[in-house]
Amino acid sequence: MLTKFETKSARVKGLSFHPKRPWVLASLHNGVIQLWDYRMCTLIDKFDEHDGPVRGIDFHKQQPLFVSGGDDYKIKVWNYKLRRCLFTLLGHLDYIRTTFFHHEYPWILSASDDQTIRIWNWQSRTCVCVLTGHNHYVMCAQFHPAEDLVVSASLDQTVRVWDISGLRKKNLSPGSVETDVRGISGVDLFGASDAVVKHVLEGHDRGVNWAAFHPTMPLIVSGADDRQVKIWRMNESKAWELDTCRGHYNNVSCAVFHPRQELILSNSEDKSIRVWDMSKRTGVQTFRRDHDRFWVLGAHPNLNLFAAGHDSGMIVFKLERERPAYAVHGNMLYYVKDRFLRQLDFNSSKDTAVMQLRSGSKFPVFSMSYNPAENAVLLCTRATNLENSTYDLYSIPKESDSQNPDAPEGKRSSGLTAVWVARNRFAVLDRMHSLLIKNLKNEIVKKVQVPSCEEIFYAGTGSLLLRDADGVTLFDVQQKRSLATVKIAKVKYVVWSSDTSHVALLAKHAIMICNRKLESLCNIHENIRVKSGAWEESGVFIYTTSNHIKYALTSGDHGIIRTLDLPIYVTRVRGNSVYCLDRECRPRVLTIDPTEYRFKLALVNRKYDEVLHMVRNAKLVGQSIIAYLQKKGYPEVALHFVKDEKTRFSLALECGNIEVALEAAKALDERSCWERLGEAALLQGHHQVVEMCYQRTKNFDKLTFLYLITGNLAKLRKMMKIAEIRKDMSGHYQAALYLGDVSERVRILKNCGQKSLAYLTAATHGLDEEAEALKETFDPEKDTVPEVDPNAQLLQPSPPINPLDTNWPLLTVSKGFFEGAIAAKDGFMDAQEGLGEEGGIKEEGGGWEVEEDLDLPPELDIPAGAGGGAEDGFFVPPTKGMSPAQMWCNNSQLPVDHILAGSFETAMRLLHDQVGVVSFIPYKALFMQTMSRGRTCYLGLPSLPCLRGHPQRNWKDCGAKQGLPAVGLRLSDLIARLQQCYQLTTSGRFEEAVERFRVILLSVPLLVVDNKQEIAEAQQLITICREYIVGLTMETERKKLPKETLDQQKRLCEVNICVVVIHTSVSFLKLIFLCVCFPYRWLFLISYHRVKSVPTIQTRKILSACEKTLTDAHQLNYDPHNPFDLCAASFVPLYRGRPVEKCPLSGACYCPTYKGQICRVTQVGRDSGPPCTTPVNLKSSS
Amino acid sequence: MSIPPTCMAAQQGDVDELFDVKNAYYIGSYQQCINEAQKVKPSAPEKETERDMFLYRAYIAQRKYAVVLDDIKGNSPPELQAVKMLAEYLSSDSKRDAIVADLDQKMARSVDASNTTFLLMAASIYYHEMNTDAALRTLHQGESLECMAMTIQVLLSLDRVDLARKELKKMQEQDEDATLTQLATAWVNIAVGGEKLQDAYYIFQEMSDKYSSTLLLLNGQAACYMAQNKWEEAEGVLQEALDKDSSHPETLINLIVLTQHMGKAPEVTNRYLSQLKDAHRAHPFLKDYLAKENEFDRLVMQYAPIATA
Repeated sequence: MLTKFETKSARVKGLSFHPKRPWVLASLHNGVIQLWDYRMCTLIDKFDEHDGPVRGIDFHKQQPLFVSGGDDYKIKVWNYKLRRCLFTLLGHLDYIRTTFFHHEYPWILSASDDQTIRIWNWQSRTCVCVLTGHNHYVMCAQFHPAEDLVVSASLDQTVRVWDISGLRKKNLSPGSVETDVRGISGVDLFGASDAVVKHVLEGHDRGVNWAAFHPTMPLIVSGADDRQVKIWRMNESKAWELDTCRGHYNNVSCAVFHPRQELILSNSEDKSIRVWDMSKRTGVQTFRRDHDRFWVLGAHPNLNLFAAGHDSGMIVFKLERERPAYAVHGNMLYYVKDRFLRQLDFNSSKDTAVMQLRSGSKFPVFSMSYNPAENAVLLCTRATNLENSTYDLYSIPKESDSQNPDAPEGKRSSGLTAVWVARNRFAVLDRMHSLLIKNLKNEIVKKVQVPSCEEIFYAGTGSLLLRDADGVTLFDVQQKRSLATVKIAKVKYVVWSSDTSHVALLAKHAIMICNRKLESLCNIHENIRVKSGAWEESGVFIYTTSNHIKYALTSGDHGIIRTLDLPIYVTRVRGNSVYCLDRECRPRVLTIDPTEYRFKLALVNRKYDEVLHMVRNAKLVGQSIIAYLQKKGYPEVALHFVKDEKTRFSLALECGNIEVALEAAKALDERSCWERLGEAALLQGHHQVVEMCYQRTKNFDKLTFLYLITGNLAKLRKMMKIAEIRKDMSGHYQAALYLGDVSERVRILKNCGQKSLAYLTAATHGLDEEAEALKETFDPEKDTVPEVDPNAQLLQPSPPINPLDTNWPLLTVSKGFFEGAIAAKDGFMDAQEGLGEEGGIKEEGGGWEVEEDLDLPPELDIPAGAGGGAEDGFFVPPTKGMSPAQMWCNNSQLPVDHILAGSFETAMRLLHDQVGVVSFIPYKALFMQTMSRGRTCYLGLPSLPCLRGHPQRNWKDCGAKQGLPAVGLRLSDLIARLQQCYQLTTSGRFEEAVERFRVILLSVPLLVVDNKQEIAEAQQLITICREYIVGLTMETERKKLPKETLDQQKRLCEVNICVVVIHTSVSFLKLIFLCVCFPYRWLFLISYHRVKSVPTIQTRKILSACEKTLTDAHQLNYDPHNPFDLCAASFVPLYRGRPVEKCPLSGACYCPTYKGQICRVTQVGRDSGPPCTTPVNLKSSS
Repeated sequence: MSIPPTCMAAQQGDVDELFDVKNAYYIGSYQQCINEAQKVKPSAPEKETERDMFLYRAYIAQRKYAVVLDDIKGNSPPELQAVKMLAEYLSSDSKRDAIVADLDQKMARSVDASNTTFLLMAASIYYHEMNTDAALRTLHQGESLECMAMTIQVLLSLDRVDLARKELKKMQEQDEDATLTQLATAWVNIAVGGEKLQDAYYIFQEMSDKYSSTLLLLNGQAACYMAQNKWEEAEGVLQEALDKDSSHPETLINLIVLTQHMGKAPEVTNRYLSQLKDAHRAHPFLKDYLAKENEFDRLVMQYAPIATA
């Protein structure tokens, strides 16, 4: 039993689940009704109007209503939205025990200690029926979920089933208005005729406290003070007792059927809740409390949830975990559903059952660990008593029929948890909480001493995460030591990122993200239960709580992506898709909007181009993003989102963007804005903006001073004028002082009546006339002419050398990405290009200081050092073994195998014998290349010469002695290379082309092919190469031939014909030219015939010209009617039936005069080699 | 990393404080080995020597011989002197004969078999000299895991897989989970071939998962793949190795093999070969290659007279 939620309160007498929302109503003994959200674990509301205990409580299925009944004889109907009681139904004459809504009709059913059951219409607010017959308190009465039946339980020791179809007909038949009006009076008139007792179930020998219908079957369960739970069956005519569940040792207060499983739940004053198996009638589980008697049970109509009320509160619980056991590897999800292990391919969404699990455990699979290397799973099963937990090791069958999958024999052992620690090892936490390492045969390999631990989790190869009471420890199984510990209470699940660089530790209400070294990166607290999680490709952790899909960045940022109706278990996240399993174990895919976390991730990773892209293209607006950006110190990014000028202004100031701020300030045009802008601009030395700000705010003093320090005398003088106009004496004087304008100062002083000061100023500055004039105005009686200080100095500002008209120079700071991006949209391209060039890696000098290769023949070995002799007595160095290369030579007669083995000598002999090669020089490159692909390298101990691997083509089944090297030369590759040669030919690079054709031709004997068809293809390849080589050489020859004499011209012509005949791709036009020069009609005809080209107008003209010449002017060595081969050396046609020498490799023909010479085509073979069937090697020929 | 004090005490007995240093060295993560060695604070002077030994050997593996030659002084412990000997041997071609002669003399006298480092270094030199007999004889005196591992390597180079397996069994009896045992298992598995190739691959793969992928591990994986004719997979692994170090000789050699098997144009292969010739003239592969070229030329001459006759 898993407790999901607990409350503490007065005794709980009634309970009701809301059918849709995560709510439960609890009616208390003290008269209060509580409305709880069991998911958020909060009290939503309290309804306190009943006087004394409230025992009946029920939510309406559709409407925002609930009904309650109490010891104050009142039935109250409440609206939880309006949060008040709508009305009260009065009529019962004693305590009310239960109240229930009908699932369809507007009825309320109430049971009371006044020995009656009443049915009320809550729309008309009247009692429509009174069911009498019980002769003691009626403890419980409930409607049947589908039929017109009522079941009631009473302290008169009976359970009664009532038929209320009469009432339905009367009240809800078409003419029901009438009867409604009659209302309660009908009851008086007809007594209980609307509702008749159908069955009276007798069997309990004490009062019955509770009776309930089965949701689908014709069954009733009842609980009574005789401490028994009875199951009754009924049909149309009768009802009988099926069985009794004994076990409670005090009054049974309530008993209900499990809505979906074959179980009965009952609770009792003996402080226990018991779960019974319906078919076996045996107790399955017992849940006890220490001090609280249980009073009531409630089952959720749709979910696997129950609630039980007791003396000091209530509990919401479920009987078993609903989390499916699953494991993800690559694109595959493995999960357990209904005793099957299923496999889901995320890409193709193909879902197959791969294996049937061994039955035997009544508990569902708790967790799974999958081993991709061995295709094996460990399935752990938790028993109620942890010590009885077991695990099964299965090897998943390779092939399976999804309809009827195999049930392979697994290996079962006891142990709390089993997880893979390596390809062929797994760790088991046994019931003594010690750690065992086992192999694939389920044998203990070793025992590992571990610090105290209650659970183990996967942590990559060779490591485990151990959970103890208050933390998680990373433990290296190989070194048997703890590597790191992090404090987090009660971790339930562990989710590694695919590259195992990060791990998310999920506890009930907390998530911690750590790196590989288990250093905590961030800690997130959740109010709601954390359910599951998976890492997204870009390193964002997507997790679910009971009602949300959320994300967490490793930096600690987290937020909600979307809400959920029901809990899901995330298996994988790709792009917009969240793959998950629901509680019914169905794989589902939900779509999410990843913009927000991608945006934040891009910000954190400083991928500003991405950020900018999202800013421009995604719908990312809203105060939260702006606030987030501001908080995280990205005001310049936030600037992009903001339309509101005021926010824009302050953001711009924050990131020091004066231009944007100025714009915003202009739009706002508020004094405070200008002031703030002025300050900011002044700090940046942006004095033009400062000037504008001062002008806008009419801050003349500051403006004057600004002009002074920037040396702007013209404007300073203007300011003086303005001050004069404004009659601002002090400002005026100050400006005059700044300007060094003495006469102005004198004038000001005079005008404001400061005569003596004016005099002094004039006198001191040597304005004698002025001084004299002033002196005269002095009244000698009253005024004294002030003494002029002889030491007085002229107070004159130094003239500005160069007025400052540009802004204060700023340090060149690289523009922030966003400013740059605003300035030039493709600004960030350069940066990216720059990145691309970082690939250059320094050459390492020195080279490997290695003296000798490993595989030099033994005779070259330096004899053992003198020191070796002394130990000979007890250590004899082994002789050299046979290398795979040697075996290749022994096993094969194919030249290529010998070359790969590095045995050139034998290879040459074979080539010589098989295809008559005598001149190996053209083969050198091929030999060297082939030899170099024969062996791979791998490093053994550092600083030692490397070891060599020997790839073999029959590695799967060759054993130790039968190896043959992997050839690495494929017919298809050679054919592909032909294309290159063709291109060279068409572009006229004949010599190069010949070279390449020859390489291909020479490569053919080094092929190993699989079947006859490939032999044919290879031979065809030889033919093609040969003909091209002959043709191209001929063409090259032709160009070299002189044309002077007739004989030579004849020869040339012959060659030309052959060119045409052999190799039709030679330019057609060239031929036409020749035809014109040597007007041989037949020549043209033949060429025309062979080329099979569509005659153009031009060719027709030539043809007609040829026709006119009528006869062949000269005799040529050419017989158009006889099939012929061409001598590859002299380019003379060799007609059929004449003696011919053939090259065994290329099949090129020669005049007998060339016998014994090197084949012109291959340049390796002799044209008199021994007879040979084919130069191509069939695999089986080995 | 914080280690709870309780388990520290419990584990003191069998925890190797130099584990990270050694492990990094063996899997070919030399810089990490150096970093770890500089970080770790040994509890005893002999541990300090051991740490230095690995530190200097890591420098040797990086071919930074000068560091070793300069750092190890005449008064350093004998273990380090041995390391210095190897550095001297590898650093210059000219002194090699003298060093080997000197080593032969030392070996002729009685050798302190407890100085495993000396044995290892001596065996390394003999192995470089292709004097496998002397190498094996030297290693025979040591009993450490590394001696056994080196024995296995020498035996494999002699194509004595049978003996290598016997030696491996001894290693497994001593410590099956040790990094060296695992690596040696992989080498032997590659030599055995067949189904064992996959096991070998997993060993390399697990190590790179667990620690970090290194050129040594990647080339091991590539060798397994290529032995199984899985050329495409091998390409991915070798590309990763090439990204780590574009002139690593073994990677280049493997690429020479791979490109041909994948049917790439001969130019691609030749490019890798030229790269190898450019940077690692003294590599055994090239020496062998040149020897084979000469052999070829010699053999051609044998056929030539027949052709003209």
